[in-house]
Amino acid sequence: MNITTRIRKFPFWSWVWFLLGLLYFVMPLLATFEFSLGMERDVIGFKAYQTAFADPEFLETFGYSVFLATMTIIVSIILIVPTAYWIRLRLPEARRTVEFITLLPFVIPAIILVFGLIRVYSSPLNIPFTEVTLIKPLTNFNFGTNVLIVGGYMVLGLPYMYRSVDTGMRTVDVRTLTEAAQSLGASWYVIITRVILPNIRTALLSGALLTFAIVLGEVVLASFLGIPAFGPYLFLLGQHRAYEPAALTFATFLITWAAMGIIQLITGGQGQAAGAH
Amino acid sequence: MTHLALKNISKHFGEFTAVNDFNLEVKKGEFVSFLGPSGCGKTTTLRMIAGFETPTNGKITIEGQDITDKAPSQRNVGMVFQAYALFPNMTVAQNIGFGLRIRKEPEDSIKKRVADMLALIHLEQKGDSYPYQLSGGQQQRVALARALAIRPEVLLLDEPLSALDAKIRVSLRAEIRAIQRELGITAIYVTHDQEEALSISDRIVVMSEGEMDQVGTPFEIYNFPKTVFVANFVGSLNTADAEVLDPENGLVAMDGVQFEAGEGTSYRKKGDKVKIAIRPERFNFASEQKKANVVDCTIANITFLGSVVRIQVIIGKTKFNMDTFNNPFLELPRIGDKDQVSCSREAVLVLND
Repeated sequence: MNITTRIRKFPFWSWVWFLLGLLYFVMPLLATFEFSLGMERDVIGFKAYQTAFADPEFLETFGYSVFLATMTIIVSIILIVPTAYWIRLRLPEARRTVEFITLLPFVIPAIILVFGLIRVYSSPLNIPFTEVTLIKPLTNFNFGTNVLIVGGYMVLGLPYMYRSVDTGMRTVDVRTLTEAAQSLGASWYVIITRVILPNIRTALLSGALLTFAIVLGEVVLASFLGIPAFGPYLFLLGQHRAYEPAALTFATFLITWAAMGIIQLITGGQGQAAGAH
Repeated sequence: MTHLALKNISKHFGEFTAVNDFNLEVKKGEFVSFLGPSGCGKTTTLRMIAGFETPTNGKITIEGQDITDKAPSQRNVGMVFQAYALFPNMTVAQNIGFGLRIRKEPEDSIKKRVADMLALIHLEQKGDSYPYQLSGGQQQRVALARALAIRPEVLLLDEPLSALDAKIRVSLRAEIRAIQRELGITAIYVTHDQEEALSISDRIVVMSEGEMDQVGTPFEIYNFPKTVFVANFVGSLNTADAEVLDPENGLVAMDGVQFEAGEGTSYRKKGDKVKIAIRPERFNFASEQKKANVVDCTIANITFLGSVVRIQVIIGKTKFNMDTFNNPFLELPRIGDKDQVSCSREAVLVLND
């Protein structure tokens, strides 16, 4: 092979676009990181990180958001995996409608969603035509508010989770795998837990990662529902501090990726998933 | 004794009839192929046996037991798919043992069965490999072992060789047949490849537009097709419009050229319009071998196909293909030559349209 052929074969433009994309995503992160190191005048150090982490409110709000994110991911998986699976298997004609529904969070702002939630769930649920209350207003107690916000987060994460799961299912041809498992005597529970879920693990993980990131950074829903989450904390901190929010933003980014890495490690010992090779 | 029976099976998808009044009885250990073009209903019929589709009408029984309404997981029917359908997250051994684990068999017996199955498909060393580490042919052998591991009543194979290259197809089909014979298992095989069906089956069901056109041994299907569709679909064939001249003596005429047919005219009347069909290999040059039908022809074309030389001749106004085995000393005529070709009475088939 001569040099001209080699040069011709080298995907020059692909690399140019890749590097441009990489810079576009990495530069703001690096800038944030660089800024977060300059809290003390003329010294490059981690002072901003020390101050931020020392604040007990940080741990409290961060832990709370991680809990909400975990709950959101679990509920999303429980709702979305069987839905996407059933649509692929039995209701392909419903796919366009469901895809449209999953895209609604892109066109309906979070502020509308939260006002809708408050409007509907701030009144008690009575037995029709009576004054007997079945459920008191969800906004009036902690568990109820948590349910509301997890529901809201699930809606915000819907486009990402649904698309990831649906793509994962397309990659492994769930229909044939289901039929193969059925012919071997497997029940629906076995098919979902031992055949489908392990084979869409990569897709689930990417959906979970996006949901996690959305929940950690979300401000509107948490603020209006009065939830002490990490998003509003970071927002408030940014109003009167400069370096700590930058440090926390960068740290959150690293923690999110580390969390996903741990999930991958924990679930990754069972061999190769279909989409992973 | 009948092992698998399909009685008056029909399947409609809305207005569309995929399978119409399908009847078949399969003996234990028999290898039956469903052969036909795309959309003829062969896969739908197979899927009804597997339980993935429910018949609109009719009944399916295995060993006399009605399984029509049973779930696929309750039928004990093994299935091999065109796309292999191995579970990507499991090793070869785990794939083969999957059905046994579902049945909660003891771990020792699963291990033994998996080892036996691996030996059967000659992949003893691949137990710990993942499907993506195997070739297409190896994956399909694993799929076969997985389907057989559960000791199914019936083995269903849905175009299992279509995704493989030609050489592997030929060797694997022989392997499938050998394994089926060794285990004595009843097998239903769906294919659109007539050579595959002819080479592997005890009986072939030729299907078109949801109906059974003919059921018979490969020999019967090839040599005595009952319809133009079967004759055309299985092997290559010359067909031409003709008219019955003498029903008693089997005389028919095509473009004024007379042919004597073996059968198929006795129940017709003089003047009936029919189709005659003659396989290319049933023709000879009249100088080589004198037979019942000797007709004048003109050489129109000669095509070399390797082991066979295809000579196109014009008889009357109709073009016929004539196949002759190639040999280095073959003296071929030239295009435009006048000659005579012959064929036996039995070679001339009078068919239903």
